[in-house]
Amino acid sequence: MSGDAAEVPLPAAPTNPLEPWPDTVRWQSISTDLIWVELLRLAAGLAVVAAVLGVGWALTSSWTFGAALGAVVLFALWRTVTIFRAVRAWGYAEREDDLLVRHGLLVRRLSIVPYSRMQFVDVSAGPLERAFDLATVQLHTAAAASDARVPGLRPAEASRLRDRLTALGEDRAEGL
Amino acid sequence: MSGSTSPAPDRNPQIADGRDEVENAPGADDPGRLSGPAEPAVPTATAPRGAGPLLGPYQEAGSPSPALTSQPPADWAGPPATAMPARQRLHPLSPALHGAKSLVVVIAGLSWSTLSRVGFGWFAAMVIVLALGASVLAVVSWYNTGYQVVGRELRIHEGLLWRRSRAIPLERLQAVEVVRPLLAQLTGLAELRLEVVGGGKTEAPLAYLGVAEAAALRQRLLHLAGQPSGTVPAGQAQPASAGAELPRPPGRPLHAVDNRDLLVSQLLTPQAFLLPFGVAFVATQFLSEGSWSFVAVASTLTAMAGVLLQPVRRVLDDWRFQLARDEDRLRIRNGLLETRSQTVPLHRVQTVRVTWPLLWRMKGWLRLRLEVAGYAAGEADERNRPDRLLPVGDQPTGEMIVAEVLPGVALSSLPLRPPPTRARWVNPLSRQVLGAGLTEQVLAVRSGLLTRQLTIVPYARLQSVRVVQGPVQRLLRLATVHADTAGGAGATAVDRDLADAWELAAELTARGQAARRVG
Repeated sequence: MSGDAAEVPLPAAPTNPLEPWPDTVRWQSISTDLIWVELLRLAAGLAVVAAVLGVGWALTSSWTFGAALGAVVLFALWRTVTIFRAVRAWGYAEREDDLLVRHGLLVRRLSIVPYSRMQFVDVSAGPLERAFDLATVQLHTAAAASDARVPGLRPAEASRLRDRLTALGEDRAEGL
Repeated sequence: MSGSTSPAPDRNPQIADGRDEVENAPGADDPGRLSGPAEPAVPTATAPRGAGPLLGPYQEAGSPSPALTSQPPADWAGPPATAMPARQRLHPLSPALHGAKSLVVVIAGLSWSTLSRVGFGWFAAMVIVLALGASVLAVVSWYNTGYQVVGRELRIHEGLLWRRSRAIPLERLQAVEVVRPLLAQLTGLAELRLEVVGGGKTEAPLAYLGVAEAAALRQRLLHLAGQPSGTVPAGQAQPASAGAELPRPPGRPLHAVDNRDLLVSQLLTPQAFLLPFGVAFVATQFLSEGSWSFVAVASTLTAMAGVLLQPVRRVLDDWRFQLARDEDRLRIRNGLLETRSQTVPLHRVQTVRVTWPLLWRMKGWLRLRLEVAGYAAGEADERNRPDRLLPVGDQPTGEMIVAEVLPGVALSSLPLRPPPTRARWVNPLSRQVLGAGLTEQVLAVRSGLLTRQLTIVPYARLQSVRVVQGPVQRLLRLATVHADTAGGAGATAVDRDLADAWELAAELTARGQAARRVG
């Protein structure tokens, strides 16, 4: 599960509506280790809720707490499945003039951000991400709505991407 | 011109005298805002030309120790010979104006129910105490506020305990505005506001300056801002006639809105339209219950005034609306009680929005707004977003202005294509209204069943393109294309056919690229 898939192009998925220009775009997927990060995050969040509900159940032995607990378990199962798929669905591609980022399963999103519009690049890694040797790169433009975030990158790949983005951004700098 | 008039006395605020706690007291309107903790989005005090030690104590937020803050004068006494312009204070009357402003805030904050609870005498006493406090704050804040133009930067220093000195690179300037509230008009003062990208709110409100000073400073800032930014064509080279007063918007007048039209247009808003019903409802309520307590009536009246506030404000704000074009800038001047005169460089216009409100359609009227990057979308007070391009006007006027702002765009003949027929499952009523189209230079998107809206984004202003597909859209093979711009919401082409959406996105990306290359 810890296979580093950062450099492997995604297996062909011709029906995927998020691949508009299959011949010109080489999509890169993100590391599947992100699955574990996301799962741990989910587990941490749900553990608290479940603990509260469990205590409540034990104290009051009211069936509503039991039902809620069941719902939480179902939710956890559903999220687990979606996390696996969502992480696999996340991808990015560097074209000549712009960066493409796609993600989302239920609501599918594709962002096209020209390098020349870049204002700054964030590279961040939380404790959980660091534990799995991952980092997140986020590209900011002057528009607040722009949404170009690539999580689950190996640090080396993250800094390569950052350096490339900044270099390209400087080349083509335009700003506003 | 406005560079050095006074030798700028060294400000050496001895804050060891027990005024410390006044600085951040709540309730003060402007002083509190000025000296609040620095927000992160704001570029604080970069110190160019190796002025590091010189700016030292002024620069960092959070230097509350008196020992630290009382050091600087030695350095400030001897600015480098390379004409570090003197630091200037705001107009000495500004604290009085701020104080008067906070009086209103105080009274509004105390509200009717306080008045009835404590009685008039106590109420007046509370108001006076609070207003006095606010005035003291205003004086302290005025004393510690100064600005200077250094090279191509405007620097603003403010705050007593939390010092802040902010450097605003003028090439980032998006728009300049001179605002004159009623009191300022009576006293011959004006407020200068600069819009800079990235600020959460209007940056650097210089309140208040003398009118001539404000006009001169604006001219100077715009001149500095427009100089070699590369993208601006010639025509900027004229020497700024600094100091010259500008009574009318200079340049070629484009349009002046008829005040009668403005009044009628604001009567044709839902608020004004529905007010009689509201009044009748409240009156019957009171009559049936037979309770006429003072507080209830006063509160009702206040609420009523609140509802009417928006149309009334619009009338007051847009009174005598004049639009002029001065080379590559738009000059907008409006206002009855509070006059504003705004200057927007044309290449800073990010979006033009045309709105046809339902009730205006019988008159064939429309409204134009423009988005500039500086005006943050998060600005709660819509009134402080002076984005009007035309408060009310008929179709030909709108067409003329749009053509002026975005050359080559004809409002009536935009090639808008509706989404495919199956989009009616998501937009049963408004499918016919929706539309998106590309012209040579702009993307145009139409939406809104009742309040019809047309958004025009020049390709050169596109920041990013997004394609979003929700679950229902996936079933129907539809997708929504967002064109993001800096400032404002950008344009959203809803429910396009999937292939169409991809094509639109590809086209937008390519054309944006081309437009940027050209400049």
